[in-house]
Amino acid sequence: MSDQDRADLLALYRQMARGRALEDRVNALTNSREFRGFFHPGRGQEGIQAGVCSVLRKDDYLLYAHRGLTYLTAKGMDPVRILGDFLGRVGGSTGGLGAGTVHCVDVENGIMGQGGTLGSSFTLSAGLGLASQVLKQDRIATAFFGDGASARGTFLEAGVTIAAWKLPVLWICENNGWAVSARLTDVQGTDDIAPRAAALGFYTEVVDGQDVRAVQAAARRASEKARAGQPAFIEAKTSRVEGHYTGDVQPYRDKDDVAQAKERDPLLLAQTQLIELGASDADVSSIWDEAVAEMAAAEDRARLSPEPTGDRIFEGLWA
Amino acid sequence: MTSTEITYAWAINHAMDEEMARDPRVVLFGQDVGRMGGVFGVTRNLFEKHGPERVRDVSIVEHFVVGGAVGAALGGLRPIAEVQFADFLLVAGDESFHKLPKWRYMHGGAFTIPVVIRAPSGIQGGVGAEHSQSPEGHYWHTPGLKIAVPSTPADAKGLLKSAIRDDDPVIFFETRRLYRVKGLVSDDPELLVPFGQASVRREGSDLTVVAWAGMVPEVLAAAEMLAAEGLSIEVIDPRTLVPFDWETVAASVRKTSRLLIVHEAPLTMGPGAEIASRAADELFAELDAPVRRLAGPDVPIPQNMALEQFCFPQVPEIVAAARELIRW
Repeated sequence: MSDQDRADLLALYRQMARGRALEDRVNALTNSREFRGFFHPGRGQEGIQAGVCSVLRKDDYLLYAHRGLTYLTAKGMDPVRILGDFLGRVGGSTGGLGAGTVHCVDVENGIMGQGGTLGSSFTLSAGLGLASQVLKQDRIATAFFGDGASARGTFLEAGVTIAAWKLPVLWICENNGWAVSARLTDVQGTDDIAPRAAALGFYTEVVDGQDVRAVQAAARRASEKARAGQPAFIEAKTSRVEGHYTGDVQPYRDKDDVAQAKERDPLLLAQTQLIELGASDADVSSIWDEAVAEMAAAEDRARLSPEPTGDRIFEGLWA
Repeated sequence: MTSTEITYAWAINHAMDEEMARDPRVVLFGQDVGRMGGVFGVTRNLFEKHGPERVRDVSIVEHFVVGGAVGAALGGLRPIAEVQFADFLLVAGDESFHKLPKWRYMHGGAFTIPVVIRAPSGIQGGVGAEHSQSPEGHYWHTPGLKIAVPSTPADAKGLLKSAIRDDDPVIFFETRRLYRVKGLVSDDPELLVPFGQASVRREGSDLTVVAWAGMVPEVLAAAEMLAAEGLSIEVIDPRTLVPFDWETVAASVRKTSRLLIVHEAPLTMGPGAEIASRAADELFAELDAPVRRLAGPDVPIPQNMALEQFCFPQVPEIVAAARELIRW
């Protein structure tokens, strides 16, 4: 236990708090119907996203998933741009085309977007890894996905190619045990995804996704492997606190299961660890307050940007 | 600059070879494109010349071939990805209809996607319903894709070079029936054939026929027969469907007042429907006869080589349709 440990965990806690504070604003926008699209909350999964992104370089590639926003802010993306996408403003990262998290993009920070069909990031990450390898850039390509998407055929097609070509790729499975309303074990016959990756030749880590420090340590090992040309895979066991989308009251799910998920909140866990490491309650609460204030200010700034006019749809199809 | 008589397949090979020599970001992957040089020999020598880093074999992974090409383009490469048969591109539906045409647009234009998908297409002889299709219409129906449909060795080379240098995704349909057809091809590595410029293959005054890829030789043969009867056919090969050189077609129809579209893909919802519809819309007053389409019938293509001949327009049918329209 050292000052360094405390400082490291404070930094991780800060990223989790920023992600959650941003998500709180998006949930509010969704509930007030100002944002009329679908948002898939990532509450409870912030530790995985913050932990992995903490070991990535600015130029490492990120293909994020649909659940939550922490990977975006933790990778360096400006929340004004993210909220601009939710609010459908020209100042959003998609220039007014997007409405929601799905296509947020930030090339400077290696954030290469997301597709609407889950599992498409497997092949794209393989291609990004190929580019890094051929161009000798030493960048790794990361892709986040859930246990549901891990069933896609693209997992196998990209996986065998990544393994054969020793591409610098790191896949992160956020295994929350639920694919919308289906329990993982009911639809895939297993609770474990990592053996699938190990069978393809990936270096694998299985980690408690609620413990941000454990995630960071696993991600450090895995990203070093990937950068050295040994494809790597992290399965982070986690829990989905909220429904598939904001407004989904989860009638298909046992109440105790949700209650347990709330107890295993990665922010609460990190708070306890911080106090053990000598941080004060004030240190911890000020980080949260700063995150809330940052995201409130970001929303105000995002609103300053205009909405696009109809001719926007004809811009940008061709290079 | 000199020209050399080479095959359509070899012209494609030269285009890749020259572009790989010119630009180290150009890479090639697909099934059997490496040591074997391609199941049709189109990629011969490229592995030896450009090395295993840039010329790579893959397993049976069409999702990866297309999706990986998109990812590689996002990362700064200019990939050429080959599917062995255009039909197999449909296996990678999500990648070819979504990721390839939409990734740039969905993300507000943040990226360019300089990908070429080489897709050998058309009826070749006994390879059946899932190896013989001409699926260009599917891709024409998908905004965000450029489509090349070369019919000559010179165009195959020049269009492929343009495609590789293009910052937008291109589906490059190669006609396997034409692979062994020879023609004069420039040796100039800077001679490109631009997209969106039709070629008038034969000038005429009585009827405009629009045809591309494997149907061009058939239409030219029909035109030759009709010339013996004193009928003058103008044959227009658009060379690319996206962008489509409508101006050249429209100018020809203004001259001939008659339009026939010939393609190998099935009739219903085929590419000809779009061209015919546009002609009806914009050239109604110019026309002296209905716009007619000759196309493959609305059936899967049988493997029996005797029967597959009934699955794309034949010279006698083209001759008959042309006569009928001219005498309308």
